[in-house]
Amino acid sequence: MQFFGGSEISPSPPLPTASGNNAHMMYIFNRNGVCLLYREWNRPLRTLDSNQDHKLMFGLLFSLKSLTAKMDPSSAEKGNLGVPQLPGQGCSFHSFRTNTYKLSFMESPSGIKIILVTHPKASDLRESLKYIYNLYVEYVVKNPLYTPGTPIRSELFNTTLDQYVRGLG
Amino acid sequence: MAREVSESCMDSLLTEIVSSYCNVLYAAKPELAARRIEAIGYQVGHQLSERYTMERPRFSDHLEAIKFICKDFWSELFKKQIDNLKTNHRGTFVLQDDKFAWLSRMSGEPSTETRGSAQEAGNKAAETTGMHLYFPCGIIRGALSNLGIPCAVSADISNLPACSFVIRIKV
Repeated sequence: MQFFGGSEISPSPPLPTASGNNAHMMYIFNRNGVCLLYREWNRPLRTLDSNQDHKLMFGLLFSLKSLTAKMDPSSAEKGNLGVPQLPGQGCSFHSFRTNTYKLSFMESPSGIKIILVTHPKASDLRESLKYIYNLYVEYVVKNPLYTPGTPIRSELFNTTLDQYVRGLG
Repeated sequence: MAREVSESCMDSLLTEIVSSYCNVLYAAKPELAARRIEAIGYQVGHQLSERYTMERPRFSDHLEAIKFICKDFWSELFKKQIDNLKTNHRGTFVLQDDKFAWLSRMSGEPSTETRGSAQEAGNKAAETTGMHLYFPCGIIRGALSNLGIPCAVSADISNLPACSFVIRIKV
């Protein structure tokens, strides 16, 4: 068995076709760790039940943010960890990639975390995440029927989101 | 020299007005809450119609005034005109807006989820949507009464996001 060397030893997943959805799944968390939205378009492997899955995801990202900020070689001061920062300030990680998927992450100053899992050849999705955040503001925050802090149940938001994700390259 | 306010602020303020009146101030009396919201709308409509008809001559008849509401007044408020106007020529007018701005973001439960509580959630959503329409009804009533046309205005939301306002002129 070879560990190093060779370009792609394990098989990479098939690239999505033009007609299929381009992302695997998406999570949205608020600053207290409540999972506001979980959308799944293509997820063959499921190891945990949804509650544990959400907690795992939130914990993972919290730790990753902390770790990347602590290991930042360029900044001298240790910022206030755990507090959401303005985009561009401080050290924020935005994606990690494995041989089978790519996870992209964005946190807004209000603590809303958006996580998008796509195929590994996806390009930088930061602009897409910003667009999804805009969709969130338009269809969820401004929806008079929505109570902040509760899971999102909006048909309009789901439809627009599905449409947008289908068009992601 | 008009002062401007962000549209998001307006939307949030309206959402909060309805929510405060229905859930906090008149929690047990939705009809009272509705009347208060409509009264606020009346005042607003009164003042707005004063401002928007400053340079115009008086309206010759009721139809002209209603057409003013459909075109100029609605454009000033929502940047679009009323899409459809129907009348029975006997004092009843139906104004239909195919994508009413203040309802465009209201969206309830996705149909595939929740089975048992879907009915209840759907009713609550319909109730709240209805509450949000008292304010624009009041605006129309205030505007028309300032133009000398006392009337009663009600709203009909049988197919969202289109909504119809029914104006009945008192003779």
